[in-house]
Amino acid sequence: MARTDRGGERTGTGVVAARNVSRTFFLGEPVHALRDVTLTLKEGSFTAVMGPSGSGKSTLMNLLGCLDTPDQGTIEIDGRSVGDLSGAERARLRGREIGFVFQTFNLMPRLTAAENVSLPMVFNDVVDADRRERARTLLERVGLGDRLDHAPNELSGGQRQRVAIARALANEPTLILADEPTGNLDSETGREIMDLFDELHAEGRTILMVTHERHIAERADRIVTLVDGQLERIEDVSDVVPSGPTVLDDRDAPTEPDGGEGA
Amino acid sequence: MRIRESIRISWRAITGHKLRSTLTTIGIVIGIGSIIAFMVLGGAFEEDVLGGFDTEDQTLVLVQTQGEVDGGFGFQTFSDPIYTQNDVEAIERIDGVEFVDPDGTIPASQVRRGSETTVSFTVRIAKPASFSKNVSGSFVAGEAFADEGEAVIDTELAESLGGNVSVGEEIRVTFTDGTRRSFTVSGIYAAENQAPGTGTSVYVPADPYYNVTVDTHRGTEAIAYSSLTVWVDSIEDLSAVQSAADEYFHSGESDAEHLVDDDKQIAVQTFDALLAQVGEIFDQVTIFIAGIAGIALLVGAIGIANIMIVSVTERTREIGIMKAVGARQRDIVQLFLVEALILGIIGAIGGVMLGIGTGYLLVGYAGFPMIYPIDWIVIAVFVGIGVGIVSGLYPAWRAARVDPIEALRRE
Repeated sequence: MARTDRGGERTGTGVVAARNVSRTFFLGEPVHALRDVTLTLKEGSFTAVMGPSGSGKSTLMNLLGCLDTPDQGTIEIDGRSVGDLSGAERARLRGREIGFVFQTFNLMPRLTAAENVSLPMVFNDVVDADRRERARTLLERVGLGDRLDHAPNELSGGQRQRVAIARALANEPTLILADEPTGNLDSETGREIMDLFDELHAEGRTILMVTHERHIAERADRIVTLVDGQLERIEDVSDVVPSGPTVLDDRDAPTEPDGGEGA
Repeated sequence: MRIRESIRISWRAITGHKLRSTLTTIGIVIGIGSIIAFMVLGGAFEEDVLGGFDTEDQTLVLVQTQGEVDGGFGFQTFSDPIYTQNDVEAIERIDGVEFVDPDGTIPASQVRRGSETTVSFTVRIAKPASFSKNVSGSFVAGEAFADEGEAVIDTELAESLGGNVSVGEEIRVTFTDGTRRSFTVSGIYAAENQAPGTGTSVYVPADPYYNVTVDTHRGTEAIAYSSLTVWVDSIEDLSAVQSAADEYFHSGESDAEHLVDDDKQIAVQTFDALLAQVGEIFDQVTIFIAGIAGIALLVGAIGIANIMIVSVTERTREIGIMKAVGARQRDIVQLFLVEALILGIIGAIGGVMLGIGTGYLLVGYAGFPMIYPIDWIVIAVFVGIGVGIVSGLYPAWRAARVDPIEALRRE
């Protein structure tokens, strides 16, 4: 319930904003996935979203990623209200302004690393030569300059996630949406991926990351906690005590490192 | 999304499932292949029977008895002797008619030349002048018979009798009534094109061997023939003679119309008209058979649709990914349509090759001249493409409606 004033203060100054957003699903009975959530992401900010399962994290991500539209309230990306757009315009906006990074990587299995990175540019009608050049640059940027023509099944989990991150950057998006990006990786690889996110943050990119893990969330500027579809609190990371023993207790069991697999 | 990109990505999807794509395409290949093969075979058969006739120069009008074929296509010709000498003379009085060559056969059981014998042959009556009037036949040796002791044989019969028959040799014909008769071969005739079953013949003068008679409606007994070939002075007289003869046989004055069975008609046609009539029947039969082959194509179309639907279900996650990175509904539709289209085009090309190949083998086996039914090949390719698009529409529509949130949640 206790939405902090800090969140309110930031409204209206960011590049991406959710204003009084509600989303209800009807699964036999109405399920209020999100209730009156207002959240603003400033340019260059790095926000972590935490909360238990069913708290509305994914719904919020889908709304900010233009995959879904709110029942009430508005989503604004770079000053444009998403609700007013047609399906095709939303798809266009999604391709240009949002870069997704998923827990399960979601690479196209039959396309090479470079082709996967090119895919958002294909749908954005970037010409072939430019695409290739940019895919190469981006893969070099994430440390996979020597893996351009490898298929996803020839890459390790960490490498796949790097390809996915390169793909997310393809169209120079306004916002990078990462959904548990280290969830399927061992801790060492996860740390490397988080280092990459830190670098992207340092470059001034706007990032929103959903995560279960407190120590991952603490690498962001601020942590937004959702409970039962409502904003529980927004904390600036500089305000909270750095990782200690209590933080480790918050880790989810399934994502515990189980020995250098896939690294 | 550019069409080139769709082709590239769709092609990747097709080659990514080689076995499945091949099986899908085979349906189209067989469908189109069988249609083309039947078209080649039908066309070649027609060409074999009708091709090469110099129809424009044939100055003749045919008078034949025609009737329906029971449970079949087109018409058949009957050889009941109904055209009397009286009719022949009436037709010969028409302006522009040079002469009438009545056609008939004399029942015979055997022909012998030295020690060579054959029983499969026909004795036909002819007028000597008919051989020179016919533009689609010629003597390879000798000439028409001059009297009742001479006969003309065709090249097929010469072959049956051991070949190398020379003019002046004796042949001995045993007629069905038991009489035997020797003929001196006056000429060997090659008919360039004949209806099936008219070859392997001995041609003799009607008088004195032909004596089939009928009772006319006038109460007389008269010699009657199976059909008449009316030779006309010049090509300009053709249509006038045709209508005059047609009128005569439907005026009530002719013997033939009183003798013809109720379910048959007397057809008076120029050679052109007859060929057109026969050609039409060939076309009907060919299209009918090709239509049956079209069922195979329908099955092929259902196969493409089925495979594409499975493919949509299987690739739900990929569709979700594409939507997440900016694909619009129309991009997804385009991808799946292009994929179906590629399968259709490959199927059509494969089908045309299979059809021509099969047709070529069958035609060669049957001894017909090979033909390439260009019009049907073009039609088949378009049908294949059309089948691809139509069978891809529904799966593409389903793919476009995939909910990316659901799709990405899948494992």
